[in-house]
Amino acid sequence: MDKSTIVCRCEEINIDEIESAINMGAHTFNDIKRLTRCGMGPCQAKFCMNLVRKIISEKTGQSLKDIKPPRMRVPLGVTRMSALASNKASSVASVFGESAEEGETDHEEEL
Amino acid sequence: MRTDLLIVGGGPAGLNAAYKAASYGLKTIIVDKWFSLGGQLRQQTQSYDHLPQHFAKLRGYKLADFLIDRLKPLDVTILEKHTLIGAYSDGSVGVTNEKDILPIDAKNVLITTGAMEEPDIFPGWTLPGVMTAGAAQILINRERVLPGKQALILGSNEFALEVAAQLHDCGIAIKGIVENRSELLCQNEKLIARISNAEIPIVLNGVIESAIGKGKVEEAYVNHNGNNALYDVDLICVAKGITPILEPFEVMNCDLIYRERLGGWLPEYYGNFETTNPSIYVAGNAAGITNMGGILLTGEIAAISAVESLNAASTVQIKEEKEYLWNELYRIEYNSVLEARLDVINELHNEKDAQLPPLVDSLNGRLING
Repeated sequence: MDKSTIVCRCEEINIDEIESAINMGAHTFNDIKRLTRCGMGPCQAKFCMNLVRKIISEKTGQSLKDIKPPRMRVPLGVTRMSALASNKASSVASVFGESAEEGETDHEEEL
Repeated sequence: MRTDLLIVGGGPAGLNAAYKAASYGLKTIIVDKWFSLGGQLRQQTQSYDHLPQHFAKLRGYKLADFLIDRLKPLDVTILEKHTLIGAYSDGSVGVTNEKDILPIDAKNVLITTGAMEEPDIFPGWTLPGVMTAGAAQILINRERVLPGKQALILGSNEFALEVAAQLHDCGIAIKGIVENRSELLCQNEKLIARISNAEIPIVLNGVIESAIGKGKVEEAYVNHNGNNALYDVDLICVAKGITPILEPFEVMNCDLIYRERLGGWLPEYYGNFETTNPSIYVAGNAAGITNMGGILLTGEIAAISAVESLNAASTVQIKEEKEYLWNELYRIEYNSVLEARLDVINELHNEKDAQLPPLVDSLNGRLING
């Protein structure tokens, strides 16, 4: 397939950019995300999750069952800042602070 | 807000679970991100063959009405246009309506967020006019808008053929159903007959090479056995199956597992449909892709587990409910799906050294012995 074909439509990342990231040593979705912004747009990798996993599998020979989804974070969708800051009981700090720290490394790959 | 059971996702699994739980007196809240309940049933005009005994055969959107209407006399609070955005360290769940965030303190949480459609890529797939089959179905059945005049369908599973037939009935010319394998994935004979009566061409061993057009799809190249053919189309519907939605489970710190037969990654769960995070349950397509009967029944089994955890019914009642529901699941769910589901359950029970529920254990035996 033409390497300029878009994979992540939110961030307009194509096959070539993902393969280049893999050539640079990326072997997980999270690596590719950090290097290219693939999967970091409004849909948060909903569309490209399995497309990218497939490219990783084809390029590195890893089996699909060994390629994890990218790390998913709160808020789980586009959310207004005003909603996040709306009341004291659930300020931005509590929503972001509480959910990120501990779970942070839970599903990360062991390096 | 406090509640006995918070259900995230008001599709068939969540609605059916709400009915069962609230019937046993559990105070129940359903949150759904859309403006009306019913989930994907809302645009399904076909009726389902594989339903549990306690359901009449209904068209999808009628089934949604039935599931919603029977909640009215019960203690079920419905929060439409509310989205789960995260969890707090005290265990409460944050839900937003775009204006405020409500922390909900629930004794049990059931996540029935369903599945999403898998895309497929080819040069030009981001052009307007390329959409999932589900999107095309929403346009014709819910929005009453024709998405195009001449279409190609990419994929040949049951849903692909169903949507092809529905688009054809709306007057859209289906130029071909393109499948890269050498045979149709759909095994529903009635549906295959409908496609063939409508004289819709089936292109096996075919792939869409590219879609081209200025600002929208105008033509597509289809490679069939090595030869490229040009199709005049303004609509390409991609139907490559569905995969469980994972974000809510990751945010709730539930462990995930990979099972291709169940649609890819999904949350791990026990025989009572509880995930690895205590009091968080899963059901419906989020617990592995299944048929409508499987979606409804798993919702009910998870609801019974919540009822059991709160001692809201007698041991005898719970045992009877579970027996009936698991036997129905055995009867209705495709064997390969049930096998993969039991495999997920067995593995987690082994890993955590937890005893398998006797019913689940007996199903293991029944599947092996046929």
